[in-house]
Amino acid sequence: MKARGPALWLTAGAVLAGCLILGVSVGGVRLSPAAVWSGAGAEGETARLVASIRIPRVALAALVGACLALAGAALQALLKNPLADPFLLGTSGGAATGAAIASLLGVSPLLSPGAAFAGAVVSSVGVAALARRGGRLDLQRLLLGGLIANAFFSAILLGVFSLASSETARTMLFWMMGSLADASPRKTLALLPYAAVGAAALLGSASRLNLFSVGEENAAALGVDTERSKAVVFLASSLLTGAAVAFAGVIGFVGLLVPHAARAVAGNDQRTLLPLSALSGAALLVAADAISRAVAAPSELPIGAVTAAIGAPVFVYLLLRTP
Amino acid sequence: MTALADRAPSIRLEVRGLAAAYGPNPALRGLDARIFAGEIVAILGENGSGKSTLLKVIARILPPASGEVLLDGRPLSAIARRETARRIAYVAQSGDLVFPIRSLDLVLQGRAPHGRGFSADSAEDRERALAAMRACDVAGLADRDASALSGGERRRVFLARALAQEAEVWLLDEPTSGLDPRHRIDFLDVLVREHRARATTILLVTHEVDLALSVADRVLLLREGRALASGTPEEALTPAALRDVFGVDARVDRDASGRRRVVWLGRAASGDGPSAG
Repeated sequence: MKARGPALWLTAGAVLAGCLILGVSVGGVRLSPAAVWSGAGAEGETARLVASIRIPRVALAALVGACLALAGAALQALLKNPLADPFLLGTSGGAATGAAIASLLGVSPLLSPGAAFAGAVVSSVGVAALARRGGRLDLQRLLLGGLIANAFFSAILLGVFSLASSETARTMLFWMMGSLADASPRKTLALLPYAAVGAAALLGSASRLNLFSVGEENAAALGVDTERSKAVVFLASSLLTGAAVAFAGVIGFVGLLVPHAARAVAGNDQRTLLPLSALSGAALLVAADAISRAVAAPSELPIGAVTAAIGAPVFVYLLLRTP
Repeated sequence: MTALADRAPSIRLEVRGLAAAYGPNPALRGLDARIFAGEIVAILGENGSGKSTLLKVIARILPPASGEVLLDGRPLSAIARRETARRIAYVAQSGDLVFPIRSLDLVLQGRAPHGRGFSADSAEDRERALAAMRACDVAGLADRDASALSGGERRRVFLARALAQEAEVWLLDEPTSGLDPRHRIDFLDVLVREHRARATTILLVTHEVDLALSVADRVLLLREGRALASGTPEEALTPAALRDVFGVDARVDRDASGRRRVVWLGRAASGDGPSAG
């Protein structure tokens, strides 16, 4: 019924490659890919220098985008709800608060994914507790719980923000608005293991998520230990979200937008949808980052503003279509 | 039937003192029942009497608060979930789908408990799924989006999935509610035909007393989470029992072709029947 097989993956790979090249080329200084590649002459040297700053940033954008999109796709299937997203469920807010508190306490930035993961898990557990009825998760209340968690965590961040010194305030702003400006090779590498573990857990759950996407009772009746699967998917999504937020702050709507677009292209089989969402999420965030640098060069728009500008209308569209 | 009656029928499912609740609301309060292999049992009772809950506990969707369900003498709690799903198929009341899914893929989900890691789309799985769809007269819908099918078509696609699951017990929650007469007849034809072909045991929750009279070997009457009576439709569906279960006066008579039918006469005058609400 939908696009499958090698053509799909070649196209997705080509789109991502195109976005990566665009991401390295675009910005305050425009670079030609050829100059970056050859590195010859004065222009080439400048190109290499600028690229050495941009490449880690583009790589971080790709990883963060992949993490958020993968988490969103898995949550949508788990909750049988196309509006589920780590941002809307309050997981990102919890992660940002965790990372912000760790940063206030002087924890090394490279360990901040751990703190963000802790925050994301606290948020997930809190939201799940709100949604728990008679020993089971009520999926409607879960979305409502996410709304409450978001309000709660932004209140904490805003409170800290208003009391903080200007230097701390800048950091707080980073968590709240999302930014890729502080990218470095070390950060990108530090993100990798978290992303790998979370992605492996979700991709390994793809067949179970297919059963969940028809309904939780459906999955249970077909022999899935649903409580265990929900725990795995929530923890893995929290890990991916925490890792993304720790190094890039809260970037909304990626987890909402990307799986929706990927589903329109390739259908709802999670064994295809999850990896395709990861690739497309990487491409989208790299492109959004390029836009954020190009539109108002030499200054930058916050990346979260770019994704929200694309994502909010799509959210409204999805909301109107959801029965 | 006569051939079966010579042998002692084996008990496929036994429900002992079963209690279950949704949060603080008890739905089953100590239910006992026996379901024999190969029979169709219709479960009747008013809204909130625990009919659907009983199916959900047997399908292991809802954990029981106390009591147990035995499948061929073994407690479900001692059987792996996946094995339960290979032996018991559940067809939900509302098969509403949020995401698009090809009908064949939905039927293939019935193979999930048989496959490794819940993934099942080997050539053999596909052949079994398609055979099940042919048996339910929905093979022509295999490539259609199941979320866009009519209610009657979708019920049969879900029934095909139960066939593909190759379970010996089918749990059907109000399988014909909301269907127009033609789709209802189509569905019941397929159901009875496949039941006979596969000698499955069927538990069928319904509000339609006539459906129980026409297809069930036995009826189980529930009231407030307990079994009120059980027996053949002729034995169990008496005016007194209908009044106890539904709080409505009824007459049971035969139509011109000799089939039994229930004629509802009106609310029971004095009320030990269920109260309004």
